[in-house]
Amino acid sequence: MALSGMRGLSVFISEVRNCRNKEQERLRVDKELGNIRTRFKNEKGLTPYEKKKYVWKMLYIYMLGYDVDFGHMEAVSLISAPKYPEKQVGYIVTSCLLNENHDFLRLAINAVRNDIIGRNETFQCLALTLVGNIGGREFAESLAPDVQKLLISSSCRPLVRKKAALCLLRLFRKNSDILNVDGWSDRMAQLLDERDLGVLTSSMSLFVALVSNNHEAYWSCLPKCVKVMERLARNQDIPQEYTYYGIPSPWLQVKTMRALQYFPTVEDPSIRRALFEVLQRILMGTDVVKNVNKNNASHAVLFEALALVMHLDSEKEMMSQCVALLGKFIAVREPNIRYLGLENMTRMLMVTDVHEIIKRHQAQIITSLKDPDISIRRRSLDLLYGMCDVSNAKDIVEELLQYLGTADFAMREELALKAAILAEKFAPDLSWYVDVILQLIDKAGDFVSDDIWFRVVQFVTNNEDLQPYAALKAREYLDKPAIHETMVKVSAYLLGEYSHLLARRPGCSPKEIFSIIHEKLPTVSTPTISILLTTYAKILMHSQPPDPELQNQVWAVYSKYESCIDAEIQQRAVEYFALSRKGEALMDILAEMPKFPERQSSLIKKAEDTEADTAEQSAIKLRTQQQASNALVLTDHRPANGAPQVSQLGMIMVPSTSNVDQNVVDQPLTHSNGTLSVVDPQPPAQDHAPAGDILGDLLGPLAIEGPPGVSPQSELNNVPSHEGTLGANDALALAPVGDQESTVKPIGDIAERFHALCLKDSGVLYEDPYIQIGIKAEWRGHQGRMVLFLGNKNTASLDSVQAKILPPSHLKLDLSLVPKIIPPRAQVQCPLEVVNLRPSRDVAVLDFSYKFGTYLVNNRLRLPAVLNKFFQPIQVSAEEFFPQWRSLPGPPLKLQEVVRGVRPMSLGEMANLFNSLKLMVCPGLDPNACNLVASTTFYSENTRAMLCLIRIETDPADRTQLRMTVASGDPTLTFELKEFIKEHLVSIPTAGKPPAPVAQQPQPNIPPIASSDPGALLAGLL
Amino acid sequence: MIRAMIVINNQGKPRLSKFYNYTPVEQQQQLIRSIYSVLCLQPENVSNFLEGSSILGPDSRLVYKLFATLYFVFVFDSSENELAMFDLIQVYVETLEKCFSNVCELDIVLNYSKMHTILDEMILGGQVVETNSEKVMQAVEEISKLEKVTAATKLISKSASLLWG
Repeated sequence: MALSGMRGLSVFISEVRNCRNKEQERLRVDKELGNIRTRFKNEKGLTPYEKKKYVWKMLYIYMLGYDVDFGHMEAVSLISAPKYPEKQVGYIVTSCLLNENHDFLRLAINAVRNDIIGRNETFQCLALTLVGNIGGREFAESLAPDVQKLLISSSCRPLVRKKAALCLLRLFRKNSDILNVDGWSDRMAQLLDERDLGVLTSSMSLFVALVSNNHEAYWSCLPKCVKVMERLARNQDIPQEYTYYGIPSPWLQVKTMRALQYFPTVEDPSIRRALFEVLQRILMGTDVVKNVNKNNASHAVLFEALALVMHLDSEKEMMSQCVALLGKFIAVREPNIRYLGLENMTRMLMVTDVHEIIKRHQAQIITSLKDPDISIRRRSLDLLYGMCDVSNAKDIVEELLQYLGTADFAMREELALKAAILAEKFAPDLSWYVDVILQLIDKAGDFVSDDIWFRVVQFVTNNEDLQPYAALKAREYLDKPAIHETMVKVSAYLLGEYSHLLARRPGCSPKEIFSIIHEKLPTVSTPTISILLTTYAKILMHSQPPDPELQNQVWAVYSKYESCIDAEIQQRAVEYFALSRKGEALMDILAEMPKFPERQSSLIKKAEDTEADTAEQSAIKLRTQQQASNALVLTDHRPANGAPQVSQLGMIMVPSTSNVDQNVVDQPLTHSNGTLSVVDPQPPAQDHAPAGDILGDLLGPLAIEGPPGVSPQSELNNVPSHEGTLGANDALALAPVGDQESTVKPIGDIAERFHALCLKDSGVLYEDPYIQIGIKAEWRGHQGRMVLFLGNKNTASLDSVQAKILPPSHLKLDLSLVPKIIPPRAQVQCPLEVVNLRPSRDVAVLDFSYKFGTYLVNNRLRLPAVLNKFFQPIQVSAEEFFPQWRSLPGPPLKLQEVVRGVRPMSLGEMANLFNSLKLMVCPGLDPNACNLVASTTFYSENTRAMLCLIRIETDPADRTQLRMTVASGDPTLTFELKEFIKEHLVSIPTAGKPPAPVAQQPQPNIPPIASSDPGALLAGLL
Repeated sequence: MIRAMIVINNQGKPRLSKFYNYTPVEQQQQLIRSIYSVLCLQPENVSNFLEGSSILGPDSRLVYKLFATLYFVFVFDSSENELAMFDLIQVYVETLEKCFSNVCELDIVLNYSKMHTILDEMILGGQVVETNSEKVMQAVEEISKLEKVTAATKLISKSASLLWG
């Protein structure tokens, strides 16, 4: 085969290669760039060959990491050259150096289009490759129909058509409107009948993108996919060159099975049977052979088949067969297969009923933890973490601890965290938990975050039975020659609090405890010294009657730190010194720390966050759900900064009758037994001992599950069901204690979620540790269709699921049947049809309840079928606007109001707000730049389509007030719209506000909307 | 989708790189460097997959294959099958082999443009467009004819073959 023979290029590349260092290389490159620049300036003198040579040099330079920021214009202009060589140069350089945001690229659209619609196939290929690689939105709008034509044309060669398919895929990603769903699904089905495997492979990629976006529209293609699988599996009509090491196009098989995973299920029994036959054939017929490439190809198909089987939730028998296969894979020699075996087994955990079978492979998985391959070690850690439960926690955690000593540094932190979480989640008894954490600190102190030792302190504080044991353990660790600073902290804290419980044991007298802790002081950092000073005070307090010798020793320490430069230490030293002279009074002041309030473990929360990050990879099932509805995806993107803000404010229960945005309530309120009180945002530890402040603060964001003062026995019982309380609210701080036991706390802020959904059409409506309710809605005129996605997050089913709609009088709502039981880890979809009868701001409420174990959870959730969903933004010109405006003379069709207390915002922000409410801002209509004019069409059964006009006059000197005029052809609409806009101007839901007004309480809430109209209430408040 | 295709030699020099999402040149270099820094530490007989999230952003995977002195790397997201990507490397290299027979690093370095042409016939916009190396070769030859190669072909001395070296 001929080489491309650009001698100049080869010479240049050789020269660059011969450069001894980066400096020389840069000089050589700069020289060349200068040369190219001059040559290009005088373009006339360049032959196409020379141009091409220079362009490839530029690309080579670009690959080496040098910016090439000239020649763009020339490149683009070459695209329209008539001859192939120049045109090719234009296309190559454009697609490498430019991106879709480049202005120059727009200039090329026409030339590219000419090539696409032209008759020259090679030109078509060049153009399609360019668009497929870097085409942007504008390309999508202007080229999609032509590219479509090429794809479905019968006269085009496969070479062109397969590129057209992928080009169309790119354009579809840039603008999904380019493919009209109704007409296109039939075409797509026809494309899947394609005989040419090249075209079929590309079409299948296109299909995967389409179906992941909207599977509903493509049901008709499902049987075609199964046909393709049958054709490939039986090796019918497969040209020899499309078999790869004897396997009929593994890529196409994989893509087709991927596509099938985007359909929630295969209902038609005969198609299902056919598909399972194929899958069975793949599962049974794949053997490990000698040829590595063949092995890889056949296993690519096999792993995809496994994923599809899991997705289809087939019969248990087939599942066990899959697990058995995976069990085989994780023990083979071939590392790639081992890796994928472990990964798929982790995915398998999402499937019900196979846990037990997977557990049989525990020994092998633990072996993989010592694999020489870090990728495999990681996978096996994930799997062990996922498969851990009460029954095997001890084994697994102990393995992890053992491995910790030899693990790579890259993995230690994760390993430590995972071990700590598993120990906490599944501890068969609490003393074991304490052992594990202390071992963790001992073995990998650097990788144990503060969260972990705070947590163990909390457990010990809240469980009296545990205290002597923990103190003893802490004392034992202090005997070790070199201990980690974290161990000093935790031991000092525990011994300060509880060493008196050990007093009679050898080596545990106050004096001995003091001296062994004090030994460590010279080696520790300032924050630890603070803890030690407190410990000394506590030891003194417990040694009554005072031991003068010990007292003198401690006092000497205090007086040494009296002049310490660190204010914290200095203060402690001075205060403890003074306090410890008070004798008996010391007892009260330095009393034992009170029990910690019960909150969610921040550790487990952390773990959940990391789980959320990896969810996409670890769960095929989840991925499918995510693609089907954006709902689940959104949880992953919970604003990370939301949590700290909220946790400072505390968990707030707002009166459930108030549907008003909590934003107007400027102080956090609790509502218990009908009285309102301001919550002290500090943890209670604050009040008790001045000594406790640092720890109190440090421990503030942490908590322990289960009600306070719970007996160790019931704490223990709580353990298996920990998962229940895990996901609780970000707000970790205070909650009215009485509500705790029977309350499942929502995750995230319900009101915020509702407000977000008022402005967009898909997302999460509600989430708690057990369930996630997502919504996806489509609105057309006065009608709408919402789909509720009820996802069970757990490994046990949710029972007695009930959902009822409490419709306001202006909406007709029809909810399809909601199943009583949601199987574990499953998601059910319940369509809800909405018809808008007339304008109103009332809100529909979803009354929702379910049972998980003994918990009965009942919620009333506002549904985002709000006024603005029935708007259709419309741009009106001055010629249309003013006659209409004048024809609506005054009340009740045109209403004006001066609104005060407006949340200050710039005009731009206000315009964005209006646009997001589907009120289209029409710039230029009002000559006064401080004013804003907007229009929209409102749809309801009564009013039909009705034009609404809005004018806002702002006062640049005072942004908190404005004058608003609203006009429409219907008095109710005018009024409702005016109030609606007012609500949004006066209080805009922002992130980080206190949590939901829809408080979760055992007794049924009064439906928020029934009793009060948010607008009226707001107006009253203002 | 496939996010990038990169060929790096065992000294860390990029030999071919193509990114299917817009990536500024500095970031490309950064990625190539960090990928190399991981690859060069990989012991033998380990799997060819690497979790890419830490260097390549969320939901990214990396599969690589070492042929003689060159690492062939694909970066892709979870919508692709790992082993299928791995096979694709093999197809690419087999196609190079057909093109240059006994392909070695020097072929690849000096025939930089051909590498691109072949890649474009196999991957388009981050999706596999053709997996049949015969078809790829046909298309590449058609293009070569159009380019009207006139300059005498320079024979390039071989050092070591990729497939056999």
